[in-house]
Amino acid sequence: MESERPLSFADQVRAIPGGENLDMCYSCGTCVSKCLIQQKLDPEYNPRRLLRMVMMDMREEAFKSPTTWLCSACDLCYPACPQKIHISAVIGAVKQLAEEAGYISPLETVVVDESLCAGCGICVMTCPYDAPHLIEKEVNGVVDRFSEVDAEKCMGCGMCVAACPLGAIARPSVANADIVSQINLRAKKGSPSLVVFICDWCLRVEDDVKILESYPENVRVIHIPCSGRIDPQMALMALRSGIDGVLVCGCAAGECHFKRGNYVSECKLGLLDGMMDQMNLNEGRVRFVRLGTQDRGRIRHEIDGMLAHLQPEVA
Amino acid sequence: MVDAARHPKIDVRTYTDVERVEGYVGNFKVQLREKARYVRADRCNGCGECARVCPIEVPNPFEMNLAPRKAAYVAMSQSVPLLYTIDQEACIHCYKCVEACGALEAIDFSQEDKVEWEDVGSIVVATGFSHFDPSVMPEYGYGRFPNVITAMEMERLNNSAGPTTGDLMRPSDGVNPKRVAIINCVGSRDKRFNPWCSNFCCMYAIKNAVLLKQMYPDIELTIYYMDIRTPSKGYEEFYDRAREMGIRFIQGRPSLITEDEETRNLFVHSEDVALGKVVEHEYDMVMLNQAAVPQPDVDMVSSVLNITQSPGGWFMEYHPKLRPVDSPTDGIFLAGACQGQKDIPASVSSGLASASRAGRILHSDEWEIEPIIAQVWEDRCISAQGKQCGICAKACPYGAITVETGKAAEVVTAKCHGCGGCVAECPHNAITQMHYTDAQMLAQIRALLADKPEEKIFAFRCHWCSYGGADLAGTSHFDYSANERGMRVMCSARMDSDFIYEAFRLGAGAVLYSGCHPQDCHYITGQRVGATRADRLMKTFEKMGMSPGRFRIEWISAAEGDKYARVINEMQKVITDLGKEKLHQEIESMKPEMEKRARRMYDVPQVNEASDYSDLLTMAMTVTEVPDGK
Repeated sequence: MESERPLSFADQVRAIPGGENLDMCYSCGTCVSKCLIQQKLDPEYNPRRLLRMVMMDMREEAFKSPTTWLCSACDLCYPACPQKIHISAVIGAVKQLAEEAGYISPLETVVVDESLCAGCGICVMTCPYDAPHLIEKEVNGVVDRFSEVDAEKCMGCGMCVAACPLGAIARPSVANADIVSQINLRAKKGSPSLVVFICDWCLRVEDDVKILESYPENVRVIHIPCSGRIDPQMALMALRSGIDGVLVCGCAAGECHFKRGNYVSECKLGLLDGMMDQMNLNEGRVRFVRLGTQDRGRIRHEIDGMLAHLQPEVA
Repeated sequence: MVDAARHPKIDVRTYTDVERVEGYVGNFKVQLREKARYVRADRCNGCGECARVCPIEVPNPFEMNLAPRKAAYVAMSQSVPLLYTIDQEACIHCYKCVEACGALEAIDFSQEDKVEWEDVGSIVVATGFSHFDPSVMPEYGYGRFPNVITAMEMERLNNSAGPTTGDLMRPSDGVNPKRVAIINCVGSRDKRFNPWCSNFCCMYAIKNAVLLKQMYPDIELTIYYMDIRTPSKGYEEFYDRAREMGIRFIQGRPSLITEDEETRNLFVHSEDVALGKVVEHEYDMVMLNQAAVPQPDVDMVSSVLNITQSPGGWFMEYHPKLRPVDSPTDGIFLAGACQGQKDIPASVSSGLASASRAGRILHSDEWEIEPIIAQVWEDRCISAQGKQCGICAKACPYGAITVETGKAAEVVTAKCHGCGGCVAECPHNAITQMHYTDAQMLAQIRALLADKPEEKIFAFRCHWCSYGGADLAGTSHFDYSANERGMRVMCSARMDSDFIYEAFRLGAGAVLYSGCHPQDCHYITGQRVGATRADRLMKTFEKMGMSPGRFRIEWISAAEGDKYARVINEMQKVITDLGKEKLHQEIESMKPEMEKRARRMYDVPQVNEASDYSDLLTMAMTVTEVPDGK
């Protein structure tokens, strides 16, 4: 027998693949504390409450909630959920409905400079969210291919920015120039100099962030949204400017906030490190480390270890 | 326990496995294997000299491996009977114990396992439960972080007879912890591991917290919980008392524990649901309240005793409400947490209940059973003619049938529960079920399909589930097609394929094959016997070209009245959509095939007379025409 009741908001969410387990949530809060967004981005972020809003038919509140827009579907919460709810899929369903209702993502996205874009499609391959796609457009009477970014899908990780061979894509607030300009430091004689690129999501606790501030000026810490944002050229620039080593810290396998930025970065830097001898440099000048959710305090060991490794370079 | 050991009529057998159980209610034969202790029970006086001189130390499982024991040991100091055992896996055969034992001469390294048979009237299973191992949850770091301990380890640490004589120490440095967190629902209410609520952990967490608070008034205690469940008498008051004592309760399931590598202090990350904020608190020690899980050897025990398990592995009771301590096998009873998560009062009640149920059997010379048992027609059984068969024995969930080639199959009446699986399975119709004979069933089918059969939906319902489902559909006033005609059998296992052929031969529009959900079957595995047959039938009908939906298999519990109504309505729709003409054509074209397949049934004794009964039944049902006005 077909129900004659009009579809509620919860029904609509349930009807979208992934949303069907919505009602299983018993508000234990595991997802909220597993996720770092509340601590790092927005104190109002709370997936548990979003699920509750859906169940209670609070359509507008759910659409306006930062939870709907900030979730990057990293799925750290999914394997932790005792009710096996695919939370990011439920949030994705809400987001889809919000977009259909005309809401727009408040996130800052990447933009393509069409005067530079060659339409090669590397960004399309790199993006974990399928945000860029190629379009054909007539410019001055010639049909050409360009990349176009779907603003609703882009989460702003910047992996495409690091991948673009022509520098045609950029996220204005995290421009290449801003990052590169931070690679300037002068080490005391006898102590090695080190640039640490650290992803915003791999340090879970405040204590670890404080550790970073405790280093003297021969260690420069540069915060980036994702380790996948690192272009190997940045490491090369650092080495060329006389810096002894580059350490890139990303999340542990399976824990990347942007799905696979850590993997992409680790691959790129591994290749780069393998080419060091072609540049008459010792291996190990560029290093990628994975910091897992339970690696409290490990950042100190990693930086100290790298400095010890670089000591022979200055001696 | 000491009283039990001294009782003249109680024989306590420890360190003994039950290896086989044969027989039936009141007449069980049990094979026991008393494992070799290498200590003679008649001579050992429990003085412990052997343990004192033993040079070997191994972890003591009774102390949760927090303390050692010797290779010559007793499981715990209160063991009854107090007999030492020599752990052969650890023993280095230095024989110092033999020397220490001296004139008693209790130690005997030549001892072997003793196997014997024992006659018993009834059996009580009280094998208890085990604990979930939290090391499979990496987020809590058990096994990696020394100060994350389990509830049972805590139990030993604050026990005055435990390894620390009751002094609560952190495993990492032996310091008394000042801040302790207790995490509930570790491995329970968690679909990744065990979906059930372990029932007693909330109270257990509160008990431990109150105990620690009394021992160390300055200690800070925090209990992380999803829901606090205090359903029994006095429990909620105890919870109140804990709150009054200043124990902190945080609603929120921790997602992560991290450790400071220097202090070995722990940081628990959780959401405080009341605040809606993620909080990270520092503790000296964290106790994980693990789920209660069935014993690791439940499968072995259930196969030895022929008792079933509920989903998850707990032993299944005969009826969850009305016969909660009876197992499905007569004469075997369940006590305590082997049947499901139970706290102490519930375990004691179930123990007392099963003892009294078991006593009933011991005090009776005769035992009444249901009259609906199976009987073999010896002249029809092909096993008696020297041919190998034994299909009936395979179908029996109770092992009540013995088949020996050359002799007719034999049903042990005391073991038979009357599901009728063997009756339906027998290819030669050589078994009948009293009060559910083929003749009686056929008479009903023929009567129910006497009038306009092509409009009818014929439903085979099992007594325990789908019949109850149909009943509920009626009492709940769920609308469903009035063309449904139902027939009750004890179990879906009794639904003979011949019955279904016969129903279709008579021209039934559609046939429903319904019974319990597999885990609910009243006859242990009866549903499985029925389900296999139904699947086979479904394939046959598909091959014969029957329109889909005319034969339908549905498992409907007694609580699913709505489902019953829905299924019948859907089947009605199939018939309506098919249209009278097409349906009639299909029925007529399949009739010969159905008749051919059901032919064996027609020479079953009394079946031919069944048409007479059916006439009478039809008459009784069509009240409008009564011959001669009587």
